[in-house]
Amino acid sequence: MKEELIISGRNLPNIDPHLHLWHWPISLYLFLGGLAAGILFFAAMVTLFGKENKFQGAVKWATIIPPIGLSVGLMALLYDLTHILYAWRLFAAFRITSPMSWGAWTLMLVTPLSFLWTLSYFKEYFPNWNWKEGLLSYLDWVIDFVNDNKKVIAWILVPSTVLLGIYTGILLSAFNARPLWNNSILGPLFLTSGLSTGAASIIMLSKSHDERRLFSMIDLVLIAIELFLIVHLIMGMMAGSQVQLEASQIIMGGEYTVAFWVFVVILGLTFPAILEIFELIGYKVPAIVPAMLVIMGGLIFRFVMVDAGQLTRYLY
Amino acid sequence: MKFWEENKKHVYWNPYFGGFMLGLLLIATFYITGRGLGATGGTKSVVVATVETVAPKYAERSEYYGKYYDEEANPMNNWLMFETIGMLAGAFLSGALSGRAKFRIQHPKHIEPNKRLMWAAVGGLLFGIGSQFARGCTSGAALSGSAVLSLGGFITMFAIFGTAYVLAYFFRKLWLN
Repeated sequence: MKEELIISGRNLPNIDPHLHLWHWPISLYLFLGGLAAGILFFAAMVTLFGKENKFQGAVKWATIIPPIGLSVGLMALLYDLTHILYAWRLFAAFRITSPMSWGAWTLMLVTPLSFLWTLSYFKEYFPNWNWKEGLLSYLDWVIDFVNDNKKVIAWILVPSTVLLGIYTGILLSAFNARPLWNNSILGPLFLTSGLSTGAASIIMLSKSHDERRLFSMIDLVLIAIELFLIVHLIMGMMAGSQVQLEASQIIMGGEYTVAFWVFVVILGLTFPAILEIFELIGYKVPAIVPAMLVIMGGLIFRFVMVDAGQLTRYLY
Repeated sequence: MKFWEENKKHVYWNPYFGGFMLGLLLIATFYITGRGLGATGGTKSVVVATVETVAPKYAERSEYYGKYYDEEANPMNNWLMFETIGMLAGAFLSGALSGRAKFRIQHPKHIEPNKRLMWAAVGGLLFGIGSQFARGCTSGAALSGSAVLSLGGFITMFAIFGTAYVLAYFFRKLWLN
């Protein structure tokens, strides 16, 4: 057994020597937040380019995921809180230096918009309902209003989803006590991963060949950027101080090496990228397989980063 | 249906060439990992992990599962598991390259898909039981065993293919067109 003697004036169980406070709901929420941000970003972009009819998977089918994903994610966040009833306090103030405050307000903006977006397609999801009479006629009015202002919503969604995607990473990287998180690449990395899982969901739900092709290409570019950022994350750690060197050991030979390299880098990024390349060249690859691998890789990536990051520390 | 009518020459390798390549793969595996190949080992790890989770007391007592029981170690954390994942990924890629990666149940004309699946399950079950008696399957015992000139490997090899050769006649209608 490895024994450690820590002499400290602090007695903080669950914080010293390792953080033991952030559990699976946080990882799940970070994944769902990134996924929702990715899908809504592409839906908004397609709308702004006026290609809604050509890319229906992005604007109509995949956008069912964000309201559900964000709701589940936010419920997971609440579930993780010790004092659930204090959650409202996040919305009683805005603190410009707090990533959590930024995130809370961004979610306050994106979540209702994601519901409105899905609602705007209700007449197309349920064409047999009688939209002209009774209570549904009020909903009909709302749906028409949202559809008339789709471009405005899209203009709001593009910056706010980028903010949401990047915040899922900044939330961790602002944590200066945990060296694996505390680097400026984590924000862009989580944003890229969220966009990539979003593109993968669109590939999965799309019914048109052209759309799958376009989003496969987008996904490939995103995977390349993500691999590049991961390499730089590790390079930055390797070129850092002893604290960063030891923190990087957790994914470079330590406990989370296999989870990170096998399930995230190989099966979640490289292998689906190879499959997508073959698909683009013309080989027949069922689109669901690389898409599922990317989504699973994104989920495992959040779990690895949240769990491994909590084990890294400054106390030596 | 259509698959069986197609000319499959372009899809499959010559079996002798395939066997030769498999031999080269085995050499590479010995060189890289210091071990042979294995296929049922991954399945076994899944079974052991499941039994340990569902009934840990039983797993500890049982003569078979007890051998793998270890409170600290996770039976899934086994090189064979990763080899199996790699095998699935590589097989999928190779299937996609030869245009065969699509969802389907291969079966001859006169056999219903359900019947085909049922007999496949029966065969798989028998093979699983047999591989545990033999302490290895075609890959782990026969191929990797005989490659290092282990007598057990040769016996397994002849037993598996010999029995298959003898019994194939009785079950030929299940797979011949």
